[in-house]
Amino acid sequence: MSELINLSLTDQVLGLGDKSFSSKEITGAYLNEIKKKESLNCFISVFEEESEEKALIADENIAKNKARPLEGIPIAHKDIFCIKDKKTTCGSKMLSNFISPYSSEVFSKLDTAGAITLGKTNMDEFAMGSSNETSFYGNVLNPINEKLSPGGSSGGSAAAVRANLCSFATATDTGGSIRQPASFCGVTGIKPTYGRVSRWGMIAFASSLDQAGIIAKNAKDAAIALKYMSGFDQKDSTSLNEEVKDLQKEVDADQEHVIGIPKGLIENIKNDQVRDSFKNAISILEKDGAKIKEINLPHIEYSLPAYYVIAPAECSANLARYDGIRFGHRSESVSSLEDLYVNSRTEGFGKEVKNRIFIGTFCLSAGYYDAFYNKALKIRNLIKSDFDEAFKKVSSIAMPTCSNSSFELGSISDPVEMYEQDIYTIPANLAGLPALSIPSGTADEMPIGLQLIGNYLEEGRILNLANKFQKLTDFHEFK
Amino acid sequence: MKITKQDLKNISLLSKIKIDDKTSSTLIQDLESILTMVNKMEELETAEINPLTHPIESTQTLREDIEKKDIEREKFQELSKEKDSGFYLTPKVIE
Repeated sequence: MSELINLSLTDQVLGLGDKSFSSKEITGAYLNEIKKKESLNCFISVFEEESEEKALIADENIAKNKARPLEGIPIAHKDIFCIKDKKTTCGSKMLSNFISPYSSEVFSKLDTAGAITLGKTNMDEFAMGSSNETSFYGNVLNPINEKLSPGGSSGGSAAAVRANLCSFATATDTGGSIRQPASFCGVTGIKPTYGRVSRWGMIAFASSLDQAGIIAKNAKDAAIALKYMSGFDQKDSTSLNEEVKDLQKEVDADQEHVIGIPKGLIENIKNDQVRDSFKNAISILEKDGAKIKEINLPHIEYSLPAYYVIAPAECSANLARYDGIRFGHRSESVSSLEDLYVNSRTEGFGKEVKNRIFIGTFCLSAGYYDAFYNKALKIRNLIKSDFDEAFKKVSSIAMPTCSNSSFELGSISDPVEMYEQDIYTIPANLAGLPALSIPSGTADEMPIGLQLIGNYLEEGRILNLANKFQKLTDFHEFK
Repeated sequence: MKITKQDLKNISLLSKIKIDDKTSSTLIQDLESILTMVNKMEELETAEINPLTHPIESTQTLREDIEKKDIEREKFQELSKEKDSGFYLTPKVIE
Protein backbone atom coordinates (compact mmCIF):
# COMPACT_ATOMS: atom_id res chain seq x y z
CA MET A 1 0.00 0.00 0.00
CA SER A 2 3.02 2.27 0.26
CA GLU A 3 2.53 3.44 -3.34
CA LEU A 4 -0.77 5.08 -2.32
CA ILE A 5 1.02 7.62 -0.15
CA ASN A 6 3.20 8.67 -3.07
CA LEU A 7 0.16 9.73 -5.09
CA SER A 8 -0.82 13.37 -5.44
CA LEU A 9 -4.08 14.59 -3.90
CA THR A 10 -5.48 14.88 -7.43
CA ASP A 11 -4.79 11.17 -8.09
CA GLN A 12 -5.99 10.14 -4.63
CA VAL A 13 -9.37 11.86 -5.22
CA LEU A 14 -9.66 10.11 -8.60
CA GLY A 15 -8.59 6.71 -7.22
CA LEU A 16 -11.01 6.85 -4.29
CA GLY A 17 -13.79 7.97 -6.64
CA ASP A 18 -13.33 5.09 -9.10
CA LYS A 19 -12.74 2.69 -6.19
CA SER A 20 -9.21 1.72 -7.29
CA PHE A 21 -8.43 1.79 -3.56
CA SER A 22 -10.27 2.58 -0.35
CA SER A 23 -9.89 5.30 2.27
CA LYS A 24 -9.21 2.51 4.78
CA GLU A 25 -6.19 1.45 2.71
CA ILE A 26 -4.80 4.92 2.17
CA THR A 27 -5.41 6.01 5.79
CA GLY A 28 -3.76 2.83 7.07
CA ALA A 29 -0.79 3.41 4.78
CA TYR A 30 -0.27 6.94 6.10
CA LEU A 31 -0.64 5.83 9.74
CA ASN A 32 2.03 3.16 9.16
CA GLU A 33 4.34 5.69 7.59
CA ILE A 34 3.80 8.13 10.49
CA LYS A 35 4.88 5.37 12.92
CA LYS A 36 7.84 4.43 10.77
CA LYS A 37 9.04 8.04 10.60
CA GLU A 38 8.23 9.03 14.18
CA SER A 39 11.82 10.22 14.68
CA LEU A 40 11.19 13.14 12.29
CA ASN A 41 8.96 14.56 15.08
CA CYS A 42 6.45 15.94 12.56
CA PHE A 43 3.40 15.31 14.75
CA ILE A 44 2.41 16.52 18.21
CA SER A 45 -0.76 14.37 18.20
CA VAL A 46 -1.87 11.44 16.03
CA PHE A 47 -5.52 10.30 15.97
CA GLU A 48 -5.06 6.69 14.92
CA GLU A 49 -8.33 5.05 15.95
CA GLU A 50 -10.49 7.99 14.99
CA SER A 51 -8.87 8.20 11.55
CA GLU A 52 -9.49 4.51 10.96
CA GLU A 53 -13.14 4.87 11.99
CA LYS A 54 -13.61 7.91 9.76
CA ALA A 55 -12.02 6.05 6.84
CA LEU A 56 -14.67 3.32 7.13
CA ILE A 57 -17.43 5.95 7.08
CA ALA A 58 -15.79 7.59 4.05
CA ASP A 59 -15.71 4.26 2.23
CA GLU A 60 -19.43 3.77 2.98
CA ASN A 61 -20.19 7.23 1.61
CA ILE A 62 -18.20 6.48 -1.53
CA ALA A 63 -20.01 3.13 -1.96
CA LYS A 64 -23.37 4.89 -1.67
CA ASN A 65 -22.27 7.55 -4.20
CA LYS A 66 -22.56 10.17 -1.47
CA ALA A 67 -18.90 11.19 -1.50
CA ARG A 68 -18.04 14.75 -0.53
CA PRO A 69 -15.25 16.57 -2.46
CA LEU A 70 -12.39 15.40 -0.19
CA GLU A 71 -14.09 12.24 1.04
CA GLY A 72 -11.61 9.91 2.72
CA ILE A 73 -8.49 12.03 2.05
CA PRO A 74 -6.07 11.83 5.02
CA ILE A 75 -4.65 15.23 5.96
CA ALA A 76 -2.82 16.91 8.87
CA HIS A 77 -3.50 20.19 10.66
CA LYS A 78 -0.86 22.49 12.09
CA ASP A 79 -1.28 22.42 15.88
CA ILE A 80 -2.36 26.06 15.82
CA PHE A 81 -5.89 25.14 14.65
CA CYS A 82 -8.34 24.32 17.43
CA ILE A 83 -10.20 21.03 17.10
CA LYS A 84 -13.01 20.41 19.56
CA ASP A 85 -12.05 18.01 22.38
CA LYS A 86 -8.50 17.69 21.05
CA LYS A 87 -5.27 18.97 22.52
CA THR A 88 -4.19 22.17 20.74
CA THR A 89 -0.74 23.21 21.96
CA CYS A 90 0.54 25.79 19.46
CA GLY A 91 3.95 24.22 20.16
CA SER A 92 3.99 25.77 23.64
CA LYS A 93 4.25 24.61 27.23
CA MET A 94 1.65 27.32 27.90
CA LEU A 95 -1.00 25.31 26.04
CA SER A 96 0.36 21.80 26.62
CA ASN A 97 -2.79 21.02 28.67
CA PHE A 98 -5.28 22.88 26.46
CA ILE A 99 -8.16 20.75 25.17
CA SER A 100 -10.07 22.98 22.81
CA PRO A 101 -13.78 23.45 23.61
CA TYR A 102 -14.52 24.41 19.97
CA SER A 103 -13.24 23.87 16.44
CA SER A 104 -11.52 26.28 14.09
CA GLU A 105 -13.33 27.16 10.86
CA VAL A 106 -10.39 25.74 8.87
CA PHE A 107 -10.85 22.34 10.52
CA SER A 108 -14.65 22.47 10.21
CA LYS A 109 -14.56 23.33 6.50
CA LEU A 110 -12.12 20.55 5.58
CA ASP A 111 -13.92 18.10 7.88
CA THR A 112 -17.23 18.96 6.20
CA ALA A 113 -15.55 18.43 2.82
CA GLY A 114 -14.80 14.85 3.95
CA ALA A 115 -11.09 15.04 4.80
CA ILE A 116 -9.78 12.79 7.59
CA THR A 117 -7.53 14.41 10.20
CA LEU A 118 -4.61 12.07 10.89
CA GLY A 119 -3.10 14.34 13.52
CA LYS A 120 -1.67 17.74 14.37
CA THR A 121 1.74 18.89 13.23
CA ASN A 122 4.64 20.30 15.20
CA MET A 123 5.52 23.98 14.89
CA ASP A 124 7.60 26.79 16.34
CA GLU A 125 6.08 28.02 19.61
CA PHE A 126 3.10 30.28 18.85
CA ALA A 127 4.32 30.29 15.21
CA MET A 128 7.35 32.39 16.19
CA GLY A 129 10.44 30.96 14.54
CA SER A 130 12.01 30.11 11.20
CA SER A 131 13.71 26.82 12.07
CA ASN A 132 11.23 24.84 14.18
CA GLU A 133 13.68 24.98 17.05
CA THR A 134 11.42 27.04 19.34
CA SER A 135 8.83 24.25 19.68
CA PHE A 136 8.29 23.02 23.25
CA TYR A 137 8.05 19.54 21.69
CA GLY A 138 11.52 19.64 20.13
CA ASN A 139 12.33 20.50 16.54
CA VAL A 140 11.19 18.63 13.44
CA LEU A 141 13.91 17.12 11.24
CA ASN A 142 14.09 17.90 7.53
CA PRO A 143 13.15 14.61 5.80
CA ILE A 144 15.66 15.26 2.99
CA ASN A 145 18.61 15.68 5.35
CA GLU A 146 17.90 15.09 9.01
CA LYS A 147 20.76 17.29 10.20
CA LEU A 148 19.02 20.30 8.67
CA SER A 149 16.07 22.43 9.67
CA PRO A 150 12.69 21.92 7.98
CA GLY A 151 12.13 25.68 8.30
CA GLY A 152 9.45 27.32 10.36
CA SER A 153 7.09 27.95 11.77
CA SER A 154 5.03 25.38 9.81
CA GLY A 155 8.00 22.97 9.72
CA GLY A 156 5.92 20.00 10.87
CA SER A 157 3.40 20.49 8.07
CA ALA A 158 6.07 20.93 5.37
CA ALA A 159 8.10 17.94 6.58
CA ALA A 160 4.96 15.78 6.88
CA VAL A 161 4.03 16.47 3.25
CA ARG A 162 7.61 15.89 2.09
CA ALA A 163 7.91 12.62 4.06
CA ASN A 164 4.58 11.35 2.62
CA LEU A 165 2.86 11.35 6.00
CA CYS A 166 -0.34 13.02 4.75
CA SER A 167 -1.96 14.03 1.50
CA PHE A 168 -1.66 17.73 2.34
CA ALA A 169 -1.38 19.81 5.50
CA THR A 170 -2.79 23.07 6.75
CA ALA A 171 -0.35 25.75 7.89
CA THR A 172 -0.20 29.43 8.80
CA ASP A 173 1.93 32.30 7.58
CA THR A 174 2.53 35.56 9.50
CA GLY A 175 5.85 36.50 7.90
CA GLY A 176 6.76 33.47 5.78
CA SER A 177 5.83 30.49 7.94
CA ILE A 178 4.26 28.57 5.04
CA ARG A 179 6.58 29.59 2.22
CA GLN A 180 10.00 29.27 3.92
CA PRO A 181 9.45 25.69 5.21
CA ALA A 182 7.88 24.79 1.83
CA SER A 183 11.08 26.05 0.20
CA PHE A 184 13.33 24.13 2.66
CA CYS A 185 11.42 20.85 2.22
CA GLY A 186 10.90 21.06 -1.55
CA VAL A 187 7.10 21.26 -1.43
CA THR A 188 4.45 23.76 -2.55
CA GLY A 189 3.01 26.21 -0.03
CA ILE A 190 0.46 28.98 -0.46
CA LYS A 191 -0.57 31.83 1.83
CA PRO A 192 -3.80 33.27 0.41
CA THR A 193 -4.99 36.89 0.57
CA TYR A 194 -5.47 38.16 4.13
CA GLY A 195 -9.11 37.47 5.01
CA ARG A 196 -9.63 34.74 2.38
CA VAL A 197 -9.50 31.98 5.01
CA SER A 198 -11.18 32.40 8.39
CA ARG A 199 -8.96 32.94 11.43
CA TRP A 200 -11.71 31.68 13.79
CA GLY A 201 -10.14 29.11 16.09
CA MET A 202 -6.64 29.72 14.77
CA ILE A 203 -4.46 30.73 17.73
CA ALA A 204 -3.43 34.36 17.26
CA PHE A 205 0.15 35.60 16.92
CA ALA A 206 -0.14 38.92 15.00
CA SER A 207 -3.75 39.36 13.95
CA SER A 208 -3.29 41.79 11.05
CA LEU A 209 -0.68 39.49 9.46
CA ASP A 210 -1.73 35.90 10.33
CA GLN A 211 -3.27 33.92 7.50
CA ALA A 212 -4.00 30.21 7.11
CA GLY A 213 -2.97 28.32 4.00
CA ILE A 214 -1.88 25.01 2.55
CA ILE A 215 1.26 22.95 2.10
CA ALA A 216 0.89 20.31 -0.63
CA LYS A 217 2.90 18.27 -3.12
CA ASN A 218 2.17 20.57 -6.06
CA ALA A 219 0.17 23.62 -7.17
CA LYS A 220 -2.79 21.60 -8.43
CA ASP A 221 -3.17 19.86 -5.07
CA ALA A 222 -2.80 23.18 -3.23
CA ALA A 223 -5.56 24.67 -5.42
CA ILE A 224 -7.98 21.87 -4.57
CA ALA A 225 -7.25 22.03 -0.84
CA LEU A 226 -7.42 25.83 -0.68
CA LYS A 227 -10.74 25.88 -2.53
CA TYR A 228 -12.40 23.90 0.27
CA MET A 229 -10.75 25.90 3.04
CA SER A 230 -11.60 29.41 1.75
CA GLY A 231 -14.69 31.52 2.21
CA PHE A 232 -16.50 34.14 4.23
CA ASP A 233 -16.98 33.45 7.92
CA GLN A 234 -19.25 35.61 10.07
CA LYS A 235 -17.25 34.60 13.13
CA ASP A 236 -14.11 36.35 11.85
CA SER A 237 -14.65 40.11 11.57
CA THR A 238 -11.76 40.42 9.09
CA SER A 239 -13.06 37.65 6.82
CA LEU A 240 -13.64 38.80 3.22
CA ASN A 241 -17.21 38.49 1.99
CA GLU A 242 -16.14 37.74 -1.58
CA GLU A 243 -16.99 34.90 -3.91
CA VAL A 244 -14.65 31.88 -3.70
CA LYS A 245 -13.33 31.24 -7.18
CA ASP A 246 -13.08 27.71 -8.54
CA LEU A 247 -9.34 27.38 -8.01
CA GLN A 248 -9.37 23.81 -9.26
CA LYS A 249 -10.59 25.06 -12.65
CA GLU A 250 -8.39 28.15 -12.66
CA VAL A 251 -5.16 26.27 -11.93
CA ASP A 252 -5.45 24.53 -15.31
CA ALA A 253 -7.00 27.41 -17.30
CA ASP A 254 -5.32 29.04 -20.29
CA GLN A 255 -4.09 32.31 -18.77
CA GLU A 256 -1.58 34.90 -19.88
CA HIS A 257 0.95 36.13 -17.37
CA VAL A 258 2.97 39.30 -16.93
CA ILE A 259 5.61 38.72 -14.26
CA GLY A 260 7.17 41.63 -12.42
CA ILE A 261 10.76 41.46 -11.18
CA PRO A 262 11.66 44.15 -8.64
CA LYS A 263 14.43 46.47 -9.86
CA GLY A 264 17.78 45.57 -8.34
CA LEU A 265 16.51 42.27 -6.92
CA ILE A 266 18.65 39.87 -8.96
CA GLU A 267 21.93 41.77 -8.38
CA ASN A 268 21.24 41.80 -4.64
CA ILE A 269 20.77 38.03 -4.27
CA LYS A 270 23.97 37.13 -2.44
CA ASN A 271 23.90 33.35 -2.88
CA ASP A 272 25.07 32.45 -6.42
CA GLN A 273 23.04 29.25 -6.55
CA VAL A 274 19.85 31.02 -5.43
CA ARG A 275 20.44 33.77 -8.01
CA ASP A 276 21.14 31.32 -10.87
CA SER A 277 18.15 29.20 -10.00
CA PHE A 278 15.90 32.28 -9.87
CA LYS A 279 17.13 33.47 -13.28
CA ASN A 280 16.64 29.97 -14.68
CA ALA A 281 13.07 29.77 -13.34
CA ILE A 282 12.20 33.14 -14.89
CA SER A 283 13.67 32.16 -18.25
CA ILE A 284 11.64 28.90 -18.21
CA LEU A 285 8.44 30.91 -17.68
CA GLU A 286 9.47 33.49 -20.29
CA LYS A 287 10.11 30.79 -22.90
CA ASP A 288 6.65 29.45 -22.12
CA GLY A 289 5.11 32.78 -23.11
CA ALA A 290 5.05 34.83 -19.91
CA LYS A 291 6.04 38.50 -20.32
CA ILE A 292 8.68 39.81 -17.92
CA LYS A 293 8.65 43.43 -16.72
CA GLU A 294 10.83 45.32 -14.32
CA ILE A 295 8.88 46.92 -11.47
CA ASN A 296 9.70 49.31 -8.68
CA LEU A 297 9.21 48.38 -5.05
CA PRO A 298 11.32 51.17 -3.52
CA HIS A 299 10.30 50.60 0.10
CA ILE A 300 10.54 46.82 0.19
CA GLU A 301 13.92 46.94 1.97
CA TYR A 302 12.11 48.43 4.98
CA SER A 303 9.79 45.42 5.29
CA LEU A 304 11.95 43.53 7.79
CA PRO A 305 12.33 46.42 10.28
CA ALA A 306 8.65 47.41 10.00
CA TYR A 307 7.57 43.80 10.45
CA TYR A 308 9.74 43.32 13.55
CA VAL A 309 7.87 46.18 15.21
CA ILE A 310 4.32 45.39 14.06
CA ALA A 311 4.41 41.61 14.61
CA PRO A 312 5.90 41.78 18.15
CA ALA A 313 3.56 44.66 19.06
CA GLU A 314 0.51 42.62 18.04
CA CYS A 315 2.01 39.52 19.65
CA SER A 316 2.51 41.28 22.99
CA ALA A 317 -1.15 42.34 22.98
CA ASN A 318 -2.50 38.95 21.82
CA LEU A 319 -0.44 36.93 24.28
CA ALA A 320 -1.57 39.08 27.21
CA ARG A 321 -4.54 36.68 27.42
CA TYR A 322 -2.33 33.98 28.93
CA ASP A 323 -2.74 34.91 32.58
CA GLY A 324 -2.82 31.45 34.20
CA ILE A 325 -6.44 31.89 35.27
CA ARG A 326 -8.88 30.76 32.58
CA PHE A 327 -6.84 28.33 30.51
CA GLY A 328 -3.25 27.43 29.78
CA HIS A 329 -0.36 26.86 32.17
CA ARG A 330 -1.01 27.91 35.78
CA SER A 331 1.97 28.16 38.07
CA GLU A 332 1.83 26.14 41.29
CA SER A 333 4.12 28.46 43.25
CA VAL A 334 2.03 31.56 43.85
CA SER A 335 1.07 33.61 46.87
CA SER A 336 -0.55 36.62 45.17
CA LEU A 337 -2.47 37.48 42.02
CA GLU A 338 0.63 39.21 40.63
CA ASP A 339 2.63 36.01 41.27
CA LEU A 340 0.00 34.02 39.41
CA TYR A 341 0.31 36.21 36.31
CA VAL A 342 4.09 36.54 36.38
CA ASN A 343 5.00 32.96 37.31
CA SER A 344 2.49 31.36 34.92
CA ARG A 345 3.78 33.47 32.02
CA THR A 346 7.47 33.12 32.95
CA GLU A 347 7.17 29.32 33.21
CA GLY A 348 4.79 28.86 30.25
CA PHE A 349 6.51 30.83 27.47
CA GLY A 350 9.80 29.90 25.80
CA LYS A 351 12.73 32.24 25.08
CA GLU A 352 11.78 33.40 21.57
CA VAL A 353 8.16 34.12 22.51
CA LYS A 354 9.36 36.12 25.52
CA ASN A 355 11.81 38.08 23.33
CA ARG A 356 9.01 39.05 20.97
CA ILE A 357 6.71 40.03 23.83
CA PHE A 358 9.55 42.18 25.24
CA ILE A 359 10.18 43.91 21.90
CA GLY A 360 6.46 44.49 21.37
CA THR A 361 5.98 45.80 24.90
CA PHE A 362 8.94 48.15 24.49
CA CYS A 363 7.74 49.49 21.10
CA LEU A 364 4.24 50.15 22.45
CA SER A 365 5.36 51.75 25.70
CA ALA A 366 5.06 55.48 26.47
CA GLY A 367 7.68 57.53 24.65
CA TYR A 368 8.36 54.85 22.01
CA TYR A 369 4.93 54.32 20.42
CA ASP A 370 5.35 56.99 17.74
CA ALA A 371 9.02 56.34 17.05
CA PHE A 372 8.49 52.61 16.54
CA TYR A 373 4.91 51.41 16.16
CA ASN A 374 3.40 54.38 14.34
CA LYS A 375 6.47 54.70 12.14
CA ALA A 376 6.24 51.00 11.18
CA LEU A 377 2.57 51.39 10.26
CA LYS A 378 3.41 54.33 8.00
CA ILE A 379 6.08 52.24 6.28
CA ARG A 380 3.53 49.46 5.92
CA ASN A 381 1.36 51.92 3.98
CA LEU A 382 4.28 52.80 1.68
CA ILE A 383 4.96 49.11 1.01
CA LYS A 384 1.29 48.41 0.24
CA SER A 385 1.22 51.43 -2.14
CA ASP A 386 4.33 50.11 -3.93
CA PHE A 387 2.54 46.81 -4.57
CA ASP A 388 -0.69 48.57 -5.66
CA GLU A 389 1.31 50.54 -8.21
CA ALA A 390 3.20 47.45 -9.44
CA PHE A 391 0.03 45.42 -9.95
CA LYS A 392 -1.21 48.04 -12.42
CA LYS A 393 1.48 46.73 -14.78
CA VAL A 394 1.90 43.03 -13.92
CA SER A 395 -0.23 40.04 -12.95
CA SER A 396 2.27 38.54 -10.52
CA ILE A 397 5.61 39.34 -8.91
CA ALA A 398 8.49 36.85 -8.67
CA MET A 399 11.21 36.68 -6.02
CA PRO A 400 13.19 33.91 -4.39
CA THR A 401 11.34 32.49 -1.35
CA CYS A 402 14.46 32.58 0.77
CA SER A 403 18.03 33.79 0.35
CA ASN A 404 19.41 30.32 1.17
CA SER A 405 18.50 26.65 1.35
CA SER A 406 18.05 24.88 4.68
CA PHE A 407 20.69 25.31 7.37
CA GLU A 408 22.00 23.02 10.10
CA LEU A 409 19.88 22.78 13.22
CA GLY A 410 21.45 24.82 16.00
CA SER A 411 23.64 26.83 13.64
CA ILE A 412 21.89 30.22 13.93
CA SER A 413 21.91 31.85 17.37
CA ASP A 414 21.72 35.54 16.42
CA PRO A 415 18.02 36.52 16.39
CA VAL A 416 18.44 39.05 13.56
CA GLU A 417 20.20 36.47 11.37
CA MET A 418 17.21 34.15 11.97
CA TYR A 419 14.73 36.95 11.21
CA GLU A 420 16.50 37.60 7.88
CA GLN A 421 15.21 34.19 6.76
CA ASP A 422 11.94 35.98 6.03
CA ILE A 423 13.37 38.94 4.13
CA TYR A 424 11.60 38.00 0.85
CA THR A 425 8.40 36.64 2.37
CA ILE A 426 7.44 39.43 4.82
CA PRO A 427 6.38 42.05 2.22
CA ALA A 428 3.35 39.97 1.10
CA ASN A 429 2.16 39.71 4.73
CA LEU A 430 2.49 43.44 5.34
CA ALA A 431 0.41 44.14 2.21
CA GLY A 432 -2.00 41.20 2.80
CA LEU A 433 -1.30 39.75 -0.66
CA PRO A 434 -1.48 36.08 -1.69
CA ALA A 435 1.92 34.43 -2.21
CA LEU A 436 3.22 30.93 -2.80
CA SER A 437 6.47 29.03 -2.94
CA ILE A 438 7.27 26.24 -5.40
CA PRO A 439 10.47 24.22 -5.68
CA SER A 440 12.68 25.80 -8.35
CA GLY A 441 16.11 24.23 -7.96
CA THR A 442 18.75 23.44 -5.38
CA ALA A 443 21.50 25.15 -3.43
CA ASP A 444 24.03 23.02 -1.53
CA GLU A 445 22.04 19.95 -2.63
CA MET A 446 18.90 21.14 -0.83
CA PRO A 447 15.72 22.52 -2.40
CA ILE A 448 15.09 26.23 -2.83
CA GLY A 449 11.87 27.94 -3.76
CA LEU A 450 10.51 30.42 -6.27
CA GLN A 451 8.05 32.83 -4.71
CA LEU A 452 5.12 34.17 -6.71
CA ILE A 453 3.09 37.04 -5.25
CA GLY A 454 -0.36 37.82 -6.67
CA ASN A 455 -2.79 40.71 -6.50
CA TYR A 456 -5.63 40.65 -3.95
CA LEU A 457 -7.84 37.54 -4.28
CA GLU A 458 -5.84 36.31 -7.27
CA GLU A 459 -4.68 33.06 -5.69
CA GLY A 460 -5.90 31.30 -8.85
CA ARG A 461 -3.59 33.30 -11.07
CA ILE A 462 -0.39 32.52 -9.13
CA LEU A 463 -1.46 28.88 -8.77
CA ASN A 464 -2.00 28.79 -12.55
CA LEU A 465 1.51 30.15 -13.13
CA ALA A 466 2.96 27.71 -10.58
CA ASN A 467 1.17 24.83 -12.30
CA LYS A 468 2.59 25.91 -15.68
CA PHE A 469 6.08 25.88 -14.14
CA GLN A 470 5.51 22.45 -12.63
CA LYS A 471 4.36 21.07 -15.99
CA LEU A 472 7.68 22.23 -17.47
CA THR A 473 9.98 21.13 -14.62
CA ASP A 474 10.42 18.27 -12.16
CA PHE A 475 11.84 20.17 -9.16
CA HIS A 476 8.61 19.44 -7.25
CA GLU A 477 8.87 15.68 -7.69
CA PHE A 478 10.14 13.74 -4.68
CA LYS A 479 13.24 11.77 -5.69
CA MET B 1 19.98 51.72 20.39
CA LYS B 2 20.93 51.08 24.02
CA ILE B 3 18.75 49.14 26.43
CA THR B 4 19.40 49.84 30.10
CA LYS B 5 18.77 47.67 33.15
CA GLN B 6 15.95 50.11 34.00
CA ASP B 7 14.39 49.53 30.53
CA LEU B 8 14.48 45.77 31.24
CA LYS B 9 12.76 46.34 34.60
CA ASN B 10 10.00 48.36 32.91
CA ILE B 11 9.53 45.78 30.15
CA SER B 12 9.39 42.99 32.71
CA LEU B 13 6.80 44.86 34.76
CA LEU B 14 4.59 45.69 31.78
CA SER B 15 4.76 42.24 30.19
CA LYS B 16 4.37 40.37 33.50
CA ILE B 17 7.33 38.14 32.71
CA LYS B 18 10.32 37.74 35.04
CA ILE B 19 13.78 38.51 33.70
CA ASP B 20 16.47 36.82 35.78
CA ASP B 21 19.88 38.36 36.30
CA LYS B 22 21.67 35.42 34.68
CA THR B 23 20.02 35.98 31.29
CA SER B 24 19.68 39.77 31.36
CA SER B 25 22.98 40.53 29.61
CA THR B 26 22.22 38.14 26.71
CA LEU B 27 18.71 39.56 26.57
CA ILE B 28 20.03 43.13 26.38
CA GLN B 29 22.34 42.03 23.56
CA ASP B 30 19.44 40.37 21.66
CA LEU B 31 17.07 43.29 22.12
CA GLU B 32 19.71 45.82 21.11
CA SER B 33 20.57 43.89 17.98
CA ILE B 34 16.86 43.70 17.03
CA LEU B 35 16.30 47.40 17.72
CA THR B 36 19.41 48.33 15.71
CA MET B 37 17.95 46.45 12.74
CA VAL B 38 14.58 48.15 13.33
CA ASN B 39 16.23 51.59 13.42
CA LYS B 40 16.70 51.43 9.65
CA MET B 41 13.15 52.82 9.54
CA GLU B 42 14.65 56.20 10.49
CA GLU B 43 16.06 56.57 6.98
CA LEU B 44 12.55 57.21 5.64
CA GLU B 45 10.72 60.51 5.94
CA THR B 46 7.13 59.59 6.82
CA ALA B 47 5.61 62.77 8.29
CA GLU B 48 2.98 63.00 5.52
CA ILE B 49 2.12 59.29 5.42
CA ASN B 50 -0.90 57.79 7.15
CA PRO B 51 -0.37 54.75 9.33
CA LEU B 52 -1.87 51.53 7.94
CA THR B 53 -3.10 49.24 10.70
CA HIS B 54 -4.78 46.74 8.45
CA PRO B 55 -3.91 45.49 4.97
CA ILE B 56 -7.42 45.17 3.57
CA GLU B 57 -9.74 48.13 3.24
CA SER B 58 -13.12 46.77 4.15
CA THR B 59 -15.76 47.65 6.67
CA GLN B 60 -16.35 45.19 9.44
CA THR B 61 -19.53 43.23 9.05
CA LEU B 62 -21.96 42.85 11.91
CA ARG B 63 -23.84 39.67 12.61
CA GLU B 64 -27.58 39.69 13.01
CA ASP B 65 -28.61 40.06 16.63
CA ILE B 66 -29.77 36.49 17.19
CA GLU B 67 -29.36 34.61 20.45
CA LYS B 68 -27.09 31.60 20.02
CA LYS B 69 -25.68 29.07 22.46
CA ASP B 70 -22.27 28.58 20.78
CA ILE B 71 -20.27 29.19 23.92
CA GLU B 72 -20.73 26.59 26.60
CA ARG B 73 -19.55 28.21 29.82
CA GLU B 74 -19.14 24.97 31.74
CA LYS B 75 -17.04 23.47 28.95
CA PHE B 76 -14.79 26.53 28.81
CA GLN B 77 -14.44 26.59 32.59
CA GLU B 78 -13.33 22.96 32.65
CA LEU B 79 -10.04 24.29 31.29
CA SER B 80 -9.30 26.23 34.46
CA LYS B 81 -7.49 24.54 37.33
CA GLU B 82 -9.27 26.67 39.94
CA LYS B 83 -12.99 27.48 39.70
CA ASP B 84 -16.07 27.41 41.87
CA SER B 85 -19.81 27.92 41.19
CA GLY B 86 -19.19 29.40 37.75
CA PHE B 87 -16.40 31.70 38.95
CA TYR B 88 -12.67 31.57 38.25
CA LEU B 89 -10.56 31.55 41.41
CA THR B 90 -7.36 33.52 41.94
CA PRO B 91 -5.23 34.09 45.05
CA LYS B 92 -6.78 36.59 47.48
CA VAL B 93 -6.75 40.17 46.19
CA ILE B 94 -8.24 41.89 49.25
CA GLU B 95 -7.23 40.83 52.75
